Amino acid sequence: MMDVGRHPKIKLYAYSEVEKVSGYIGNFKVKVRKKARYVDETKCNVCGECVKVCPVAVPDEYQMGFSSRKAVYIQLPQAVPSSYLINMKDCLGNNPIACGKCAEVCDKKCIDYDMQDQFIDLEVGAIIVATGLDVYDPTQLDEYGYTRFENVITSLEFERLICAGGPTQGHFIRPKDHQTPKSIGFIQCVGSRMERRGNPYCSNVCCMNTVKDTVLLKDHYPDIEAKVFYMDIRAFGKGFEDLFKRSKEGGVKYIRGIPGDIEEDPKTGNLILTVENTTTGKIEKHNLEMLVLSIGFIPRLNPDPIQQLLTLSRTQDGFYLEAHPKLKPIDAPTKGVFFAGVAESPKDIKDSVTQASAAAARAGIILAQDKLTVEAITSIVDKELCTACEICYRACPFKSIIVDKEKKIPAEIIEAACAGCGTCGAECPFGAVTMRHFTDRQIFSQIDAILDENPEEKVVVFACNWCSYAGGDMAGISRLQYPTTSRLIRTMCSGRVDEQFVLYSFQKGAPVVLVSGCHFADCHYIDANRWTQRRVERLWDKLERKGIRPERLQLEWISAAEGQKFAKVMRVMEEMRKKVTKEEIEFTKKALSDLKPKGTKKVKVMAKATA
Amino acid sequence: MKLVNFKFRHKLNTIIGGEAHNFCYQCGACVGDCPAALYSPAFNPRNILLEALLGDEESLVGPDSVIWDCTNCNTCYERCPQAVRPVEVIIALKNISFEKGTNPPGVKSILDSVKESGRTVKTSSLSDRRRKELGLKEISIVPLEELKKLLE
Repeated sequence: MMDVGRHPKIKLYAYSEVEKVSGYIGNFKVKVRKKARYVDETKCNVCGECVKVCPVAVPDEYQMGFSSRKAVYIQLPQAVPSSYLINMKDCLGNNPIACGKCAEVCDKKCIDYDMQDQFIDLEVGAIIVATGLDVYDPTQLDEYGYTRFENVITSLEFERLICAGGPTQGHFIRPKDHQTPKSIGFIQCVGSRMERRGNPYCSNVCCMNTVKDTVLLKDHYPDIEAKVFYMDIRAFGKGFEDLFKRSKEGGVKYIRGIPGDIEEDPKTGNLILTVENTTTGKIEKHNLEMLVLSIGFIPRLNPDPIQQLLTLSRTQDGFYLEAHPKLKPIDAPTKGVFFAGVAESPKDIKDSVTQASAAAARAGIILAQDKLTVEAITSIVDKELCTACEICYRACPFKSIIVDKEKKIPAEIIEAACAGCGTCGAECPFGAVTMRHFTDRQIFSQIDAILDENPEEKVVVFACNWCSYAGGDMAGISRLQYPTTSRLIRTMCSGRVDEQFVLYSFQKGAPVVLVSGCHFADCHYIDANRWTQRRVERLWDKLERKGIRPERLQLEWISAAEGQKFAKVMRVMEEMRKKVTKEEIEFTKKALSDLKPKGTKKVKVMAKATA
Repeated sequence: MKLVNFKFRHKLNTIIGGEAHNFCYQCGACVGDCPAALYSPAFNPRNILLEALLGDEESLVGPDSVIWDCTNCNTCYERCPQAVRPVEVIIALKNISFEKGTNPPGVKSILDSVKESGRTVKTSSLSDRRRKELGLKEISIVPLEELKKLLE
């Protein structure tokens, strides 16, 4: 951290918050609120005179409330920048008549009660989100008595008690009588891997943290009796198993079983714990002088501003969603934004450093270039046809469209930010938006080519580039057999499949049509396939109103690995095709003969394609 | 070597509350606070779940099964991190056992008593007299017709 503070090319804004982010990859504009410290950080040399005279004492958050701090304080001795700050909530008021003692003793005149928040505008090329984590609050699990018994502490509090820089200078004592305990227990998975209360995921670090704690404890106090109550010890990383072994060799007892209610002996303050040792199947009672709850991680409680500012999404467990779980684990779905550390998922220091290094390297790629080369597959807007209705803006998963409904400013695509899914093109009711390399004309021509001869023998399949089309590839590579009647039309995303494409296929005499895309969490364009689903549901209604069986339009999610599923779906589609009669196809053609293309331009396009 | 009896597990899966047994990861959180396990060492909810995972039909719903020791106190429901609801799995097992007729005779007599009088414990002339002596109200009669309809 010190090195970062001193580095000539790194600017650190400590005690600051991001207020606003606009722009796109390579051209982000960020507004930062630098909160008032009330101490001039450039002048302060941490002499400590102000702390001596400050009359306020409040619990020290850094020491988990085990000791107190003053209203003017430094969070931790190694903090960067090395400067005090005044917490105005605790200060007796920035009224020099009321107190003002710190300002009196400060030789360098650093203290300024009238300091205001500053706003700083930055222009940056890439953003790395490293907002960190919060820890699980074990008060919810009442059986462990964290709120009732003083000698039940969390692993974070343990960390302060055994730390040389902690409130006890590293002398390990228990809170109730300030004596070094002779026995100590650790309960694992507090708030982790719990379906009903707590969090369903594994927090990744608590096992090894406890193993490290026991080794540390045994180093300092070899006579202390340590027991760990666990359900699985997940020592999965490099050197982890060795440390686990060292802990066991040091005499730490590992008991497989999660305890029930904890009771306290009111005289001694010792804790009585009932647990089934699942290896022996016997119920044991343990009398322990102290108990440590190994608490898990939870996503940052208040990161919403960041999430909104950067159009990020989250996974079910509340951590930020990466662009792709395997291939792009560092990138956010929004281009030019990267993740480092626990903001993305629970991970230990080593993994955080690995991800941070990768994020820095990914960001460096963007910063090293004067001009950014982007994929040519982007949307384009015909401004003459655009009515600035903002539908495309709502559909765009990347918010890469600038449009103003009130001022009637037609839509414009930010091509650097556009990922090229084509959802905007499919949603535009006026035919104003189309996609390079997947234009309406190209796709109508493909439909024509498929259905010009013997349309009743064909199955029209719209497959997305990343999952369903690759699933078809997988089926081919695996030599899976499926009917030869299917004809695939590739689009980048299933979100590109316009209502018109489907209706036009039916009008041309297609017996059945399949729209296929990635599974919901796997969509390569954040949530563009949600729009596909909505659109297909709309189409089902429309077909039903026209007297056409909606079953003839099918929607399937097929991933790139599901070659088997692809072949199976094709077989099912073939069965459906056989059931569609000639009369039905003729009826459909008639029912859809009045199909009007949206927008004037599309009429021409379609006329050309059919000609 | 014994094989997992999937037939029995499938059967358990079809009964409401029984399907959750699949998620048990044998952590033992249900045992520490179980009052039945405290007094009867043979009764162990974790072990019952393990046997359910193995599909040990004989031990679970046989005539010597320990499942009837369960007091339905729901503590295991509160403790279980996996939301298995051991108490409901045990109730599902009890239902299977009752279907097979391997339940303890006492259970049948309680059921008969409910069908006849609407009460688990029948009233007697002695209990009526005692209530009178203590100045308690007379016990109201259970509307049996309604009960019969409900049971149907």
